[in-house]
Amino acid sequence: MPEYTALAVVAVVITIALERWSGTRVFTRLQFWLAMAIVFAFQAIVDGWLTKLTAPIVLYNPEHHLGLRWPWDVPVEDYLFGFAMVASTIVLWERAKRSRRTDAEHQPAATHDHDEEDRWTQGR
Amino acid sequence: MDRYQYLLLMAACLAITLPLEFVLGARVYRRPALLVAAMVPVVVAFSVWDIVGIWRGHWSYNPLYVTGIDLPLRMPLEELVFFIVIPICGLLTYEAVGRVLRLVGKLRSGANADA
Repeated sequence: MPEYTALAVVAVVITIALERWSGTRVFTRLQFWLAMAIVFAFQAIVDGWLTKLTAPIVLYNPEHHLGLRWPWDVPVEDYLFGFAMVASTIVLWERAKRSRRTDAEHQPAATHDHDEEDRWTQGR
Repeated sequence: MDRYQYLLLMAACLAITLPLEFVLGARVYRRPALLVAAMVPVVVAFSVWDIVGIWRGHWSYNPLYVTGIDLPLRMPLEELVFFIVIPICGLLTYEAVGRVLRLVGKLRSGANADA
């Protein structure tokens, strides 16, 4: 397997492990998958511009990826890269929200900041 | 101007997602402590991957479309900007979708109450 392809698969596996470890259950939420669908649509456009072979900003060495490019000239590995990057950010964001709520519960009410209202808007 | 193409593309990503914060009320920029906590590990991990990719020759950058400003270990400035901008766009999308879903939920339960 080409090196970039292998690293991209490893990154997705690490992201899945991170989601499991975090206990946030982000992957069970409709909110997450709808957001990822929107992110992928915009990724195709932005990445399409970055990788277009007529005037590329980023050049990929053909030895290190599968050579499957869609749409336009986007290497398919980039979608795994993008998923790993955005999904792990969302998992860590939810994790940080949760630990912040836990901290707030151990403090007197007067020290609560605005993020405290998330307890009410994010309840499941 | 071409040298700024990559940076301008990143600026466009920030501009197009800005209404998610201020119109849809995503509240991502307004929670800077959460934002930093979520992003630091991602920026570090993906910068390492980028540097490994450059070092192993997986990818390179067209000098026509980047400023030529390199960070340590030959990582272009634009790549660091990318690893900051794109996760922020992802979080804004995620929070905005959450806001819309909660709004739809409220409207539905309201409609049921009226019926």
